[in-house]
Parts: sequence; structure tokens; C-alpha cells
Amino acid sequence: MRYSLLAGGKRVRPILCIASCELVGGDESLAMPIACAIEMIRTASLIHDDLPCMDNDDLRRGKPTNHKVFGESTAVLAGDAFLSFAFEHIACNTNNVSPDRLVRIFAELSSAIGSTGLVAGQFVDIESEGKVVSLNELEYIHVHKTAKLLEACVVCGVIIGSGNDNDIEKVRIYARFIGLLFQVVDDILDVTKSSTELGKTAGKDLVSNKATYPKVMGIDEAKNFAYHLMNQAVQQLACFDTAKAAPLYHLAYYIANRQN
Amino acid sequence: MIFSTVLTSVPNLYLTRKPKNIHIQIRCLSSPSVSISSQSNLTQFDLKAYWATLYAEITQKLEEAIPVKYPDQIYEAMRYSVLAKGAKRAPPVMCVAAYEIFGDNRLAAFPTACALEMVHAASLIHDDLPCMDDALERRGQPSNHKVFGDDMAILAGDALFPLGFHHIVMHTPPELVPESRLLRVIAEIARTVGSSGMAAGQFLDLKGGNTVDFIQEKKYGAMGECSAVCGGLLAGAKDDEIERLRRYGRAVGVLYEVVNDVLLSKSTEKEGTEGQEKKGKGYVRLYGIEKSMEIMEELRSKAKNELDGFEKYGDCVAPLYSFIDYAINRGFNVSDLSQ
Repeated sequence: MRYSLLAGGKRVRPILCIASCELVGGDESLAMPIACAIEMIRTASLIHDDLPCMDNDDLRRGKPTNHKVFGESTAVLAGDAFLSFAFEHIACNTNNVSPDRLVRIFAELSSAIGSTGLVAGQFVDIESEGKVVSLNELEYIHVHKTAKLLEACVVCGVIIGSGNDNDIEKVRIYARFIGLLFQVVDDILDVTKSSTELGKTAGKDLVSNKATYPKVMGIDEAKNFAYHLMNQAVQQLACFDTAKAAPLYHLAYYIANRQN
Repeated sequence: MIFSTVLTSVPNLYLTRKPKNIHIQIRCLSSPSVSISSQSNLTQFDLKAYWATLYAEITQKLEEAIPVKYPDQIYEAMRYSVLAKGAKRAPPVMCVAAYEIFGDNRLAAFPTACALEMVHAASLIHDDLPCMDDALERRGQPSNHKVFGDDMAILAGDALFPLGFHHIVMHTPPELVPESRLLRVIAEIARTVGSSGMAAGQFLDLKGGNTVDFIQEKKYGAMGECSAVCGGLLAGAKDDEIERLRRYGRAVGVLYEVVNDVLLSKSTEKEGTEGQEKKGKGYVRLYGIEKSMEIMEELRSKAKNELDGFEKYGDCVAPLYSFIDYAINRGFNVSDLSQ
């Protein structure tokens, strides 16, 4: 579990969670257990995604994948343990938060990672390999594989920071755009960069015949689309205090312009 | 095996065709005509009828909880395992039975009961994978990965874990169970399934070694413990009562597995077959039949003693006593209840 969790990673999701909490006036310490839990969930999904029967990846975050080091059975169990430990971590370490807020957080998180979220996206992604995929299907994959968990990050951050329903909806939409943006940029980088620069196996998408934005719309259109998504995302932050919204604004900018 | 996360692939061998002499031998441990409960005012409890009613209700709720929608195959894979006809529904039944010692509206317990079954099914799906126990059959039908593929089986399990939690928070009536208790339930299930519970047990099981007691507790005792504790938590039982339920649940879970072990090794002995690697593993292989039966008696006694501490709740404790009886006597075939 530690191997994969502490292997590096940009920690974008935990940071989004904390930034959202602070956006509505909450303290970082309130959001930290949830931020960590989300990173555990993310790690769990990566460990499982990399398995031979799934994406069959040898490299992740610049290192050999979990099953390469520990074997498949341990990798399956490590992912399973993380999924539940994340929930345990939140339940046992979040202090000074009313139970009803915590229950909302569990509702949000659990719907983002299962058959209405991560798992659904991964499934449709696997199923559409080698097939002609419409933009709608591509969007479905990325909304569910990526955007839903990002939504959960920011929504949980706002809930724990005692934000109201309006705040929740604004950040949810922000995250939806960020989520799609994340994946569009990922697709672009896979085409344009090497494995060393990326930290994971490059050129995989082309080899595996997976559906990607550059494939469907061309690389230039994909880049334009990325910038459009970024602008749509930051528009959602307009109603918040500028200073408090700065991290989220700059995160959107970073996701759009990153090189790995 | 009711509480186990691993089922040996010979379910029909001893549950439907119990050789008579084995049945009698085990029943010598307790007189067949006397209920295991010591209080004379507790009538013989009809566990079969109780279980059958709950079985039907829980199955109905599970059906509703996992409707097929896009992307269909994921839901079909989830339903395939959760709604398998061979499922015994022991964790949910245990949860409701524990709840009903202290609580009076089982609607409070149903969502958690269903979640326990989902989480149980999820761990079984993963346990059966080729890289894990490589089981061909589960609950009387081909294993999930045999029908849907390894990748789908991984995803189905990954989907069922969070669905369980989601189901609890979305369907437990807040007027019956305050959120603070719900959080304890979630923490309990998360702990049971995770790195200190069943996952740990399965890991050790796969690696081998002689830590059979630890494995049995982690794999089989854990689910029994969790189910009983969740029932108590939902009903607002006191902390010492929860711990009593915990010890009871763990003892019954392990007891069930020890009895299975003994029955299985007796039946392979009788039939003169070469056992598969998994047959008679654990207690019988390590301690032998005689000692294993002593352990059975210790566990039975321990479970019963814990329940004696609930004397003030009178007849409400009857179902839990009868689980102990059932673990040893197997008076009926649970898979018949689904018909």
C-alpha cells in the first residue's frame, strides 16, 4: 500500500479538496483526512487499472507498477484495502464536523468511485478499445474516469468547510470542466511526450488503439478545446473571494499547461 | 460456509448429502432435543422460518439496490454475484438478528444488512480470481470472472464496495438511526474489509504458513463479528454490549468454519478420495480431528457465554443462540430457503 501511495504523484486531488475547503473559509486541517482518503482511493484505482487483465501497465509515477513488484494477488488486495481504509480514515479522523456533513461526504465519495463513477468510466474505456468512439462516448469515459472524482474532491472540501448548496454547485461545475481538461491534456501529452518526461508508459494510447481527443478531433482542435474548458472552469470561481479562489484558479491553469 | 470469504468448490458434498454417521457424531456435542440456550423459558426457536423470511426480504432489497442501467454489463456482473441463488445471506441475517435484540424496527437495519452482503460478495469475487484462489465455482455457479472475464470481475468488486457504503447512507432512515451511529457502522465495515481485517486474512492465506488461527479470525470471524456489531450499533446498543456482540460474532464465524473443516475432512475420509489442497486445511490439518472438535466446543461455549450476558433481553436473543446450534447441527440446508 505504501509503495504506491508514497511513490510520488502530484497530489492534485488532495490539493483541490483542501483549496475548496479554504475557498469557503474552512481550515486546511478540517479537510486533510478527506484529502488523504481521496488520494488513497485514487491510488487504489491506479493499482487495479495497471493490473495485467486491465490496462497492463509496467510503469506508474516513474516506477514499476505495484503488481510488478509485489505480485498480482497482493496488488488486488492492496487496492481493496485502500478503498475501505479511505472510508475508515475519514470516519475515524475527522473531528469537529457534524455527523450529517460527514454522511453527505460519504454519499458524495461513494457515488464518485463506483458504478456511477470511476468504475463505469474504466469499464466503458476498456470496452471501447479498438472501436470507433464518438465524442459523446469519449466524454462519458472521461467524466466518469476522471471528472467525477475531482468533483467529489471539491464538493467534499466545500461541505467540510461548511459551504452552502450554491457553493457546492459552482465548484462541482468547475470540477467537471477541470476533469475533462485533465484528460484532454493527458491525451495530448501521450502523443507529444516520451516515457521519461511523462513518468508513465508513453505512446500507449496509439498502440492500444484507445479513443483519445487528438485521435477524434486532431491535435490542434484538442488543444483549443483544452483552453476552452479551462476558461469555462475558472468562470465558476467569479462569485468567490479572489484571494481565496486563487489556488483553484491557478490549479486550472496548471492542469491546462502541465508537461507531465 | 456462511461467514467465510473463501468457499471450497464442493458445496454439495456435505450440505445436501450429509452422511448419517457424521451428523450424529457432531450432534453428540449437544443433545439434539435441547436448545443450546440454557434458559428454560426460551422456546425452541424456528431458525429456518426466521432465516427464510429475512432471506426473501433482503434478496428483494438487493434486487432493487442494483438495477441494470448503462453501462449494463457492470451491473449484470454485480447482480450475478450478489443475487446468486446459492448465497446464504448470513451476514445480513446476523445483522438484523443482532439489531432486533435492542431495536424494534428492522427497516433501520436493512440497508446495512444489504451493504454487508454487497461487501461480502465483493470480497468473494476478488478472492476467486485466478491470481488469488483461482476458484472455478462460487455459490453453486461459475465464478464471476469465469462468466464476465477477469477485468470485469475486478471492476464489479470495486463497484460493490462503495455501493455498500452508498446504500447505507442513502437508505437508512435518519429518524431511526442518527448519523453519528451510521458513521460508526461505516467505520466498522471499512475496518473489517480492509488492511486489518479480511484483506489481511486473505493475504496471509495466500502466502501460506501456520498462522491459521489468525487467518481464521481475520477471514471468517471478521464478517460474523462485523455483522453482529453493526446490528448492535444501528440499534444504539451500549459499548459493552457492542463488545459482547463482537466476541460472539467472531466466535460463531470461526466456529462455522471449524465445523465445515471437520465435516469436510470426515467426508473425504469416508469417501476415500484424495483431498484437493484446500480440503481439511486450517484447523483439521494443523490440529487433527480430535483437537478440532475440542476447539469447536470451546467456541460454542464462548459464543453461548457471551449471549448469556444479554439475559435481560429475553426471547430477543433466541435467533443468535440458534445460530450457534445451526453452526454445529446444520439442521437445514440454507440454499433451500431461496426456493
